[in-house]
Order: sequence, then C-alpha cells, then structure tokens
Amino acid sequence: MTPSFVSRPSFAARHAGVLRRLPWLVLAVLALFPLLAPLFGVEYYVGFMRRVMIVAIAAASLNFILGYGGMAALGHAGFIGVGAYTVVALVEAGVASAWLAWGCALVGGGVFAALIGAVSLRTRGVYFIMITLAFAQMLYYLAVSLRTYGGDDGYGLYTPLTLGAGFDTAHPQLFYWVVLALAALVFAVFSRVAHARYGHALRGIRDNETRMVALGYPVYRLKLAGFVAAGAVAGLAGGLLASHNAFVSPGLMHWTQSALLLVMVMLGGAGRRWGAALGVALWLTLEEALKMYTDYWHWPLGLLLLLIVFHAQQGLAGLFGSRAQADVGGQGADVAGEVDGAAQERAGSAEA
Amino acid sequence: MSLFVADGLVKRFGGLLATDHVSLTVEAGEIHALIGPNGAGKSTLVNLISGLLPADAGRVLLDGTDLSTLAPHQRARAGLGRCFQITSVFRNDSVRDNLLLAVQAQAGSSFRCLRRRDSERELMARALELAAQLGLTAVLERPAGTLPHGVQKQLDVALALASRPRLLLLDEPMAGMGPEDSLQMLGLIERLRGDTAILLIEHDMDAVFQLADRISVLVYGRVLTSGDAAHVKAHPEVQAVYLGTEAA
Repeated sequence: MTPSFVSRPSFAARHAGVLRRLPWLVLAVLALFPLLAPLFGVEYYVGFMRRVMIVAIAAASLNFILGYGGMAALGHAGFIGVGAYTVVALVEAGVASAWLAWGCALVGGGVFAALIGAVSLRTRGVYFIMITLAFAQMLYYLAVSLRTYGGDDGYGLYTPLTLGAGFDTAHPQLFYWVVLALAALVFAVFSRVAHARYGHALRGIRDNETRMVALGYPVYRLKLAGFVAAGAVAGLAGGLLASHNAFVSPGLMHWTQSALLLVMVMLGGAGRRWGAALGVALWLTLEEALKMYTDYWHWPLGLLLLLIVFHAQQGLAGLFGSRAQADVGGQGADVAGEVDGAAQERAGSAEA
Repeated sequence: MSLFVADGLVKRFGGLLATDHVSLTVEAGEIHALIGPNGAGKSTLVNLISGLLPADAGRVLLDGTDLSTLAPHQRARAGLGRCFQITSVFRNDSVRDNLLLAVQAQAGSSFRCLRRRDSERELMARALELAAQLGLTAVLERPAGTLPHGVQKQLDVALALASRPRLLLLDEPMAGMGPEDSLQMLGLIERLRGDTAILLIEHDMDAVFQLADRISVLVYGRVLTSGDAAHVKAHPEVQAVYLGTEAA
C-alpha cells in the first residue's frame, strides 16, 4: 500500500531548481532583448515587449486583489485611465519629468481606488462586480466629456517626457529598461507581500471572510488597503501606457478593457505569483501572431479561453505550479490524492 | 458584576420576533448552556452577541464594557471568541496555517507587508502551543479540509481560542458528530473550564447536563427559565415544551 502514498512528484517538484532560477533567466533575457533585437531584425518587438510588460504590471495589480483578495473587480481599467489622464493633465500643465508624471499617476490611481473602494467594498459578489463596473464607466464618460483633453478623440502626447541625464521616453532601449525595472519591482513587492502577514490575511479573507471577522480581523480596512495598492499600481501602468502610446483616449478605460484584464489574469492563473505575467504574455502574443493571418483573430482566443475554463481552471501557472509557487489554491489535486491514499489504506487494513 | 451580560436583546425579522428581550449573564469561569427547540432563536442570539447581526435593541457587556456599538471584529478583539455551528475553518490551508492565521489576528498589526510571516517565531510558538492544547500536533501539515469532521471541529475551537477570549461562544459544537467525537469534544470543553467562560449552545442534553454550571432555556426567542440542571429538569414548562417533546 505504501506506493500509493508516495504520489508522483509534481512537475514543480521535479524541476524545482530550474523553476527557481527561471524568473532570473527570463529577467536576463528581457534585459538583453533590446540589444539583441537589432541583430535579428526584430526591433519592432522591443516596443511590443514594452507594452506586454506595462499591461503585465496592470494585470499583476488586478491579480493581487482578485487572486489573493478574492475581490472580482470589473473596473480596473478605470484606474489605468486615471493614471493615463493624470499624465495628460500634467503634460498639458507643462510638466516634463517622466518620473513626476508617473509618480502622480500612481498616486492618482491610489486616490481614486480609495474613493471607489470605500464605497464598493461594502458590497460582495455580483454587487461588487457591478459597482466597480459602474464607477469605471463613470470615469470613462467623464473622460469623454473632458474637452480640454480631447474628449472622444483622445489626446496626443507629442513631446516625450524626460527621464533625466538628457534622456527621454523616446529613447527606445532606455524606456524599455525603465519599464522592465518597474515591472520587476512590482512583481517582487507583490510576491513579498503575499508571504507576509498582510498576504496571509488577504487570502484568509478570500477563503472565509466570516471566520476572519470572528477572529478579529479588520476585514474592511484590510481589503481597502489592498484595493488602494492595486489601484495605485494600475495607475502607474496607465501612466506608462500613456508614454508608451504617446496617446491617451477614453477607450483605455472602457469596461471591455477591464474585462480583458480579468480574462488575462484568469488565463495566466489568478492567485499565482506569475499568473498575471503569463496570461498577459500569452494573450498579447497570440493576438499579435493571429492578426498577421486573419482579421478574425478574436475567435481562436475565445476557443483558448474555453479550453482554460474547462481544462485548466488554475490557469497556465496552475498547469505546472506547485503549492509553494501557488501560494495556496492549487491544492485540489494534492487533497484528492491524499483522500485516495487514506481510502486505500483503510481498504488495505480491512483486508488484513 | 458578571463577566458577561446580555441585556434586553431584541431582534426582529420582519414580523417575526426572533429574539424577545433576552437577558442572560455568564460568570467568570462558568459554563452557561443555552438550550431550546429548533427555531427558538439560539443561533440568532449568538450572532447578536458576536455582532454578526445588528440587534434592534439591548446591550452586550463584557467585563463592564459596552460592546453594543462595536463591529464584530472589534468585539472579537475585546475578548469574545466564537465557533460556528457549521464548522468554519480554512479548508485549503494546513492546520498549521489555520492556527497561524488565528494567532496573527491578535498579535500586532496584520498590515505588515515585508517580513515573511512564517519566520515570525512568536507566532509559530503560539500556534504550536494551541495545537498541543487541542491535540492537533499530529495533523499540523494536513490541509484542514481533509480532516475528519470531529478534528475539524477541534480546529474550529482552536481558532477561537487563539486570542485567549474572555468568553467563548460555542454554537452546537457537537452537531453532526458521532458518539466518539462527541465524547472527545465533551472532554475538550471540560478541559477549557476555568481558562475561559463559555456560553454553550447545544442540542445534546446529556452533554449539557454534564457540562453546564447553569442552563437557560430559550423558547420562541424568550428565556423561559434559568438555573442549574436540577432546576431545569424539574421545571414543568421546560418538560412540556422541550424535554417532553424530546422524550416523545
């Protein structure tokens, strides 16, 4: 009977060493990419990768509240929009420093998240989804009505922002590296927080909110703190996106953008450390690739989504994640294995 | 003054008066049992006391402090621990993580974001202490959801005890248990006597008569009578509405 207890080591267990080094390897490859791209004639993809990383920052912030905190917010693009329009407003007011503009985008996202979260977090479930959606749509229509910033037509940022030491955001490699550094920082911080007291408390709320209340946790304040942090990081992503596109329009915060962000997080694996990055990378890469072959690139992506929903509910990261990586969540298989083992043990002892 | 006082608690659900001016006290170190037929409003009362339901009228005092205006989590911090009728643990987490989470709630701020929680020695020590106290040491690494019902219930009690509550609210701790598990839970509650005052809601009459220093009988949201086991057993109305129907 013993063999049934020694379950086959998971993919993650068998390749623990490689998986631990993988993020550093990916970071190194990403860092070298702008230098190597010209050698292979793929400079265009430096810009593409920059966009992937910016969206990954936004997705990571959504993953933080959705995957760890269980808050299914359908208005996250609203905070991206706040960040982007903060940059627009500052440029219009004559600010030239990228750092100042992005810093304000971060703060702006956080402030709006505090206001919206303070109201929204008094609701749960479907109501929470609807109310966050409603707030984001209000922001969308606010942007549409802002004539000063182009209204419906959007606003072009014709002058690049300065990065200091004579460089600016028009510098293709430098801006890329700045985004890479910020993305790495965001992922590192979220990962760190996930294992600290706060992260454990947040997952506790996701799994059993009533129990957390009875244990004495200030659930509302804990959730609001996470919501504000996520809104701030989404605001930063919005600011970066404004510089990346050199253009901002209300479309950025349309509710379909919020939904898309949700889809990418689910695709990668909600509540997984690398879920957001994987989801965004896969989705945007497929979109880019499919667009080369067909105008109808939406439906293969739809099929992919169906596949994930039916066969890999833990998302991509769940396909080869371990418990350690997963930070809880993907234990279903382990649990089933254990119950199985116990049942077999009972059967065995009955025979004896 | 009593350790715990519930004073004139009222709760209406539409036209239904679920809790009708209920007053009861729990002395320090006492096990006070609350019995009553189904639908008497026992769980409602527990929720009013712990604050999960807002009361329409009445006060809740612990050690002379009025908790009535406090949110449920603040009442928990003030010393009200509770268990749930339907076992409420973190099913996907290991027993150890369950205990750590419960311990963390009362040990400083949970807004700490940088230090790894699992490297905090004091938390770990307290969690292991709790595990030992409740006989959970052998299952520390098991996901809570895979444990037998009786053990999950023990964990539920452990979570409530993590904060060293002044008053522990036990909502039918033996519900759905076999005789063996019930006996174990009985022993556990007996061991807790003196550590904390307990308000015990329970259907199992044998357990109640064995454990309780005092028993209150709740019928249609009202306290019918209050007293020791002999008094309650002898009370004619109790026999009619509760023991009588049980026996029939």
